[in-house]
Order: sequence, then C-alpha cells, then structure tokens
Amino acid sequence: MSKKRSLVGLAICLMMAISLSLVGCGGSSGGLTITPGVLTVGSDCDYPPFIEMQGGQPSGFEYDLLAAIADEMGLELVYLEPQNFDTLLASVAAGTRMDVGVSSFTITDERKQLVNFTIPYFDSNQAVVTMIDSSYTNAMDLDGETVGAQSGTTGADWVRENLGPDTELKEFNGASELMASLVAGGVEGAFYDEPTAAFFVANTYTNSHIVQSIPTGEQYGIAVAQNNTELLNTMNEAMIAIKKNGVFDEIFSRHFPGVSPPSLAA
Amino acid sequence: MIKVNKHSTASSTIRSILVTIAVLSLIVCLTAGSTQAVGLTINKTTAQSNQIVGNNIIGGVPTRITWEATVGANETVKQITLVFPEGTALGEGANSKATVLDDLTRLDAPQTSTISAEQTTVTFDEPVASGLLIRIEMYFIALPEASGEYRLTGSYVDSAGKERELQASRAISVISATTVDVITLWMDDQPWVELWNSVLFLKVFLNPQLIVASIPALFLGWLRSLLLVLVGFPLAIPIGLAISFLRMSKLRIIRFFAAIYVNVIRGTPLFLQIYIAFFGLPFLGISIDSYILGILVLAVNSSAYLAEIFRAGIQSIPKGQFEASASLGMHPAQTMFHVILPQTIRRVIPTATSEFILLYKDTSLLAAVGVMEQMMFAKSMVASTGNMTPYIVSAGYYLLITLPLTKIIAEFEKKLAAADDNSSAPDDKKKPKMSLLERMKSIQKIKALRNKK
Repeated sequence: MSKKRSLVGLAICLMMAISLSLVGCGGSSGGLTITPGVLTVGSDCDYPPFIEMQGGQPSGFEYDLLAAIADEMGLELVYLEPQNFDTLLASVAAGTRMDVGVSSFTITDERKQLVNFTIPYFDSNQAVVTMIDSSYTNAMDLDGETVGAQSGTTGADWVRENLGPDTELKEFNGASELMASLVAGGVEGAFYDEPTAAFFVANTYTNSHIVQSIPTGEQYGIAVAQNNTELLNTMNEAMIAIKKNGVFDEIFSRHFPGVSPPSLAA
Repeated sequence: MIKVNKHSTASSTIRSILVTIAVLSLIVCLTAGSTQAVGLTINKTTAQSNQIVGNNIIGGVPTRITWEATVGANETVKQITLVFPEGTALGEGANSKATVLDDLTRLDAPQTSTISAEQTTVTFDEPVASGLLIRIEMYFIALPEASGEYRLTGSYVDSAGKERELQASRAISVISATTVDVITLWMDDQPWVELWNSVLFLKVFLNPQLIVASIPALFLGWLRSLLLVLVGFPLAIPIGLAISFLRMSKLRIIRFFAAIYVNVIRGTPLFLQIYIAFFGLPFLGISIDSYILGILVLAVNSSAYLAEIFRAGIQSIPKGQFEASASLGMHPAQTMFHVILPQTIRRVIPTATSEFILLYKDTSLLAAVGVMEQMMFAKSMVASTGNMTPYIVSAGYYLLITLPLTKIIAEFEKKLAAADDNSSAPDDKKKPKMSLLERMKSIQKIKALRNKK
C-alpha cells in the first residue's frame, strides 16, 4: 500500500516537474536566449578539428570559441546532443530549441534568407578526397563518377554546380559516414571542407588523401534566428571583444598552429 | 669507338632538344604576349541549379552565378565589369561580391560593387595583384527565360586605368521552366499562398509550392523504395520458410543454429545490420551494388521474422492433422506441402502482411548509407530548401501503400475470425466426432508402428 502511494506521489511530482519546465520554456521566449542565462548550441558534432565528440563531450575549435564567447557574454554554454546538419539551420530558424547553430556553416546569401550570421570566424575552402591507390588527380576527374558529400553542405552544392549531369551524388548525414563510404568503395571521391578533410586524411583515414583543394574562400559564421537580432548583436560584440583581448587568437593558434587568425571583420 | 659514337649521337640529341626548347619558348613567349593582352584568365563560370528538384538552371528564376579568373603575370586589376546576357533580370536582394584568394588563402579585398539587370561592376580599393584568384559571386540573378547557352562578357580596368575586353566566359546552359516550375512560380505570386505561408507552421510543414514540387520529385524515390521491398520480401519468404523448418528440425544441432540465426537478427536493430553490411563487407573485398546490397540486407532481416511467423503458423495446425495424413499414407513432405502449408498460409497472411509493412517502412533506413530511395530524395530536398514539407509528402507516399494494406489485413482477420467462429459454434457437437476419428487414426498409426517393429 505504502509502496503504491509513494509511486503515485512520484508520478505527481514528475508531472509537476514536467509542467513546470514547460511553463518555464514558454515564459522565457522574450529574453536574450531561450533558457535565461544559458547559451544553447546546436551542432552536428562531427567535423574535426572544429567540433567532434570525445568521450561524450563536444570538443574542438568551435567548442572552445563558443565557450569563450559564452564566457564573455556571461552565459552558461550548453551543447545539445548532435544534430543533423541538413536540418540544423531550420531548427535555428524556428528558434525554439537552440539559440545558435555552430557547425562550420559557410555564410551564403541563400542561407541568410533563413537565418542571420555573425561575423565570420574562419576562412575555409573545399577539398576533394580520394583513396591513395585510386588514379584520380583532380576534382574534374570525378566528373561522371559516383561521388559523395554531406547533405546540405556547400560541398554538395559544389558538386551539383561543377560536375556534369552524369555524376551521381550520394549525400550523407555526417562527414564520418561520408569518409566511411569512401573507404568502403561506396563513392569514388568525397567533397567537403578542406580543414576537416586535411584532419581526416592525416589522422583517421590515412589511406585516403586530398587530391585537390578547391579555392572557394568561404567563411564560417554562427547562425542565429532572424527574429533575435539582439542575440546576434551581442554575439558579434562578444566576438570582437575576445578578438581584442587576444583570447580568440590564442584559441585559434592552439587549434591551427602556423595559420594566421582571421581579422573578424564583417 | 662505340663509346665515342654514343657520345656524339647523345650530344646531337641534346643540341636538337636545345633548339626545340628555344623555338618552343619563343612560341610560348609570343602566345603569352598575346594572352597578356587578355591579362585575366577565366577559370570558370557556373550557375547554381535553381530548380527545387533537379539539377538544371531555369531561365527567369533567380540563381547564383559564380565567375572565377586568375590575374595574369605583370597584370593588376582595379575593376571588373561583367555584362549579363540580354533578358537577364534581378531577383530581390540581388548583389555581387568578389573574393580574392592567394592560392587557398582568402585575402582582405575591400571593394564596392554595383549591380543592374545589364551588368555588375566590382571596384577594388587596392588593385588585385598578378597571380591572385578573383571569384565573383552574383546572387539572385535571373537568366533569360528562353532556354539556351548564355555567356558573360565584360571588361576590366588595370591599375593604370586602361580598360580591356574580357574573354568570353564558358556558356551556362539554361532550360526553360518545367510545368512544375511554372506552377510553383505562379503560386509564388498568389495572395492565398502568401497568407497560408504567413503562418510559420503551415509554411514549414505544408508549404503549397513545395507540396507541388515534391509530389513528382519523390515519385521516383517512391518507386525505388517500393522495388526494394517488392524484391526483398519475396526473397525473404523462401529463406524464412527454410529457417522455420530448420527451427523445427528433429536434430538439436540444426535447431540450435537456426535459433541463433533468428535470435541474432531479431535481437539487433536493422540499422546496425545495414551499417555492418555496407561498411563491413567491403573490408572483406566484397563489393556489391548498394541498391542490391540493400535488398539483400532487407531480405535477410525479414527472413528471421518470417521464420518465426511461419513456425508459429505451422505449429498452430493441430498435431492430429500430421498424424491423420500419416495414417493416410502421406509422406511427411507431402503432408507439409499439401495439408499443412496451405492452411498455414491462410493463417499467416495477416502477420506476414504486417511484416511486409514494417519492412517497407524500414527501407527508409537505407538512406543513411547512401541508397537512393524515397527518404533520400526527401532528405536532399529538405536540405536544399530548409523546409519540412518534402518529409510530409514523403509520409503521404508511404501511407499510399501502408493504409490500404492495413485495411486488407483488418478485413482478412475479420474473415478468419468469422471462419473460426463458424467452426467453433457447432464445436460441441462436432468435437467428439472429430476426436473420435482422430483417436481411431492414431490408434491405427500406433498399431502400424508396432507391427513394423
């Protein structure tokens, strides 16, 4: 009997807790962030050296950068569980689950129709990765072949725009799956951002190599919902602040030794 | 002697090579001189596909054009003007910006740019030095509506203020809008569509333009998904039946291995099995077309479930029937195929159909490993539009198969239940008769066995 009663009590407590948290969510929509005092970040967490899961914890350049930004803004940093890259911007735009999307997003005008971007924090390019024992020597050699890219990325766009109609493009959720498929022979070449490609071929998939780096000069920005310009401005200010006090350059050089840090100009 | 000879021939070859090099370099210098007048080498001119589905560039709909050129030796570029083909229009927010790269390093290139339906001009604050790459992206440019090959022409100004003609770019192929494009474009201008899309939920989940675009776009994916299960499932039936026989084998060891097969496959997620098959098999040097491998994985997975369904079906047939058939002198195999299985099939149809529905829905898991099926089509549409509507339309396509099948199962089960009711209603009277017959037969059988011994 007493066991039953305590169970009922527990259930009531749980229900109250849930309803309270729901009320909490609903009530806070007017603030700077969804949960007051917390900067909630969505990322696909599979793009080293920018972001990756290590022992269940996100780590990498972007994580350290966001930690510094959140620190500067006086907010607690919370990363959501890994998100799908191709729907992440839509989630940011909806503005209900996460405050910002940070997943090596190249700033493009098309994406700007959906979300706002902060000032760029990284200059990037595209790369084509093939197996070392394959005979391809550049990106155009893969015209008409089966190639892979991550779904929703500028790499996938590059393939569609630059390789001929006979090319079959396979799209994958994450960069790891893309590389696994390359190694398994599912695709002949993988198109994605050069820094991550360089990391993967040097550390994880050592039997593959970059056959061509494609200069695109794209820049990464942090995605913020369009209706939250206050957060966008505050983040930009925080980014400029950590650039000025040297924190940004310190983090940048730790992850990319020998590369000169970007100016963080708009 | 021979050595000297060799030497002289070698030196003569060297001399002739030197002469050729000299001549060649002269030619190269001359041609280089003539190309230096051009000064900018255009590397590429491309446009992004602006079809919601498909990979073409439609005329009259805004797209992004990318133009890339390398600054030649001893040349600097202060200003570039790109002239659009006649009939070009600007979309909302049209603009152009130049990126300057030194190999892979993006350089700061302060600039001002103007754009009109006729041309765009980018002026650099500091002239761009030789050897650098200039990449101009023009956003929301609607190329002419008529299909055809279009080129960008134009000119550039060097640091000395001299204006020079640009070589014509490579052509961009433009097709005229397809029916679907025409409909969605028409919808863009409709007030009711605008009103509908002003509600965020409706815009994101039930976007009218995307519904129209998704239906034909996902059709091919729907067929491919359907084909996966229409080949995979029939393949699973004989495997499943065979496994179910093994599961009921008299030999313990066979039963044991069949049980392992069934339990391992049923006890692990299909998603995991797909990953193992797609990423593991190639390491063993086995390379199968991903679509066929997809079918095989589905068939193996389903066979384990079907094996259990068949076993349950067979075992639900009263033992008496085996004995009765045996007493009629039927071979066990004959009993199985002529007496037991026909009844089993009737009984397992509803559960097997449920399994078919499950398997059909599970084809979507193959999207994760790059098999082109419906989910994959929907996914890439969602990725390119940032809108969930293709998923909703995709759900509609799945329901197109699953709803009627569910209805059929329900009808069939009703029929079976009715049949059972009919047989069980007069049960009280029939039963003694039946059991008497059965008893007599089993007695006969036992007697026969005894006699044999």
